[in-house]
Amino acid sequence: MDKELEHNFVELLEKHQNIVHKVCRLYTNNQDAHNDLFQEVTIQLWKAYPKFRGESKFSTWMYRVSLNTAITLYRKSKRTIDTQDFDAVQFKITSVPYDDTEEQQLKLLYKAVHQLNDIEKALVFLYLEDKNYNEISETLGITEVNARVKMNRVKTKLKTLLNP
Amino acid sequence: MDELDMLKKDWKKDDSRYPKLSYDDIYGMILKKSSSIVKWIFIISILEFVFWTGISFALKDADFNKKFESYNAENIMIPFLVLGYLILAYFFYMFFMNYRSISVTDNAKLLMENILKTRRTVKHYVAFNLIYLVVSAFLVLSIEFNKDETMIATINKAAADGELFKFYAVAILATTLVLVVCIGVFLVFYYLIYGLLLKRLNKNYKELKKLEV
Repeated sequence: MDKELEHNFVELLEKHQNIVHKVCRLYTNNQDAHNDLFQEVTIQLWKAYPKFRGESKFSTWMYRVSLNTAITLYRKSKRTIDTQDFDAVQFKITSVPYDDTEEQQLKLLYKAVHQLNDIEKALVFLYLEDKNYNEISETLGITEVNARVKMNRVKTKLKTLLNP
Repeated sequence: MDELDMLKKDWKKDDSRYPKLSYDDIYGMILKKSSSIVKWIFIISILEFVFWTGISFALKDADFNKKFESYNAENIMIPFLVLGYLILAYFFYMFFMNYRSISVTDNAKLLMENILKTRRTVKHYVAFNLIYLVVSAFLVLSIEFNKDETMIATINKAAADGELFKFYAVAILATTLVLVVCIGVFLVFYYLIYGLLLKRLNKNYKELKKLEV
C-alpha cells in the first residue's frame, strides 16, 4: 500500500476517532475490550479504505464499518470480563453539577443500554448519532418500517429495564 | 422527555470524555493483524479442505487400497474418485467466490448472510465427504463380499452352517457402527468449532431476520 494512502487514512481516522470510541463504548464493558474492538475496527477500516470512493462522507462510511465489526466480525477475547460499572468510571457522565437525580438517571440509562442486545444497541447508537430511519435501515439491511417498529420496541424495553 | 432523548442530550454534550489516540497510535494499529471471525472461518475452512483431501490421498496409498486394486473393480472406483475430485474443485471454487463477496461495507444483514454462505459451503463439503465415506464404505464392503477370496470362503462356510443372514447382519452392523461413531465425533468437533465462532453472528442474524416476520 502506498504511503500517501496510509497517511490520508490515519489522518482521517485520527480526526473522526470518536465515532469508533462511541461504538466501543456501547459494545464493550472494560478498557481491554474497548481497546481490542477499537483495534479490530481500525484494521477493518484500513482494509476497506482502498475501496472507499468518497461517494459518501468518510464519517458515514465509518459508522457502517464500525458497527459491522462490532456486531458481526468481532470476536470477544477471553480477557474481557464484564464489569457493569465500567461506563460510569471510564466515561465521566457530564450532567449539570449538583443535579444528583439526573446524574443517577443517566447512570441507570447507560446501564440499561448495555443490557440491550447487539442489534438494539446499533439502533440506539444510530439514533443517538442523529441518523434518520432511512440511514438506519440502510446500515442494518432492514426496511425503514421495520427499523421504526424495532426502535419503538427498544424504547419500551428501555422503559421496562429502568422501571422493573 | 423520553429516556432516549435524555441520553442523547448527554451523549452529544462532551466529546472530551473519549480517549484521544495519536497519529502514531493509529498508525501502529493498521500494521497489526485482524482477528475477526471471517479470518478464522477462512483458516478453519482451508484446514478442512486440506484435511479431507489429505484423507482421500492417504486412503489411496493405504495397504487396504492396494489389496482392493487386485479385485479389478476400477470400472466402479475410478469414476467414483473422479467424481470426488470434481466435486472438491466445485466446492473450492464456490468457497472462494463466497469469501470474496464478503465486504465489511455492506449492510449488516448482507454481511452476515455472506459470511454464513461461506460457512454453509464448507458445511456442505463436509457433509458430502461424510456421505462419500458412507457410500464408499458400503461399496467396498459389497465388492469384498463378491471378490475377496477369504471373504467368499467365509460366506460359503456361513452358508453351509445356515448362518448366512447372521454373517451379513454382523458385517453390515459392525460397519454401520464404526461409521456412526466416526461421523458423531466429526459432528461434535464441527459443532464446537463453529458453534463458538458463530454464536454471536447467528444470534444477531436471527434478531434481524425476526424483524421481517
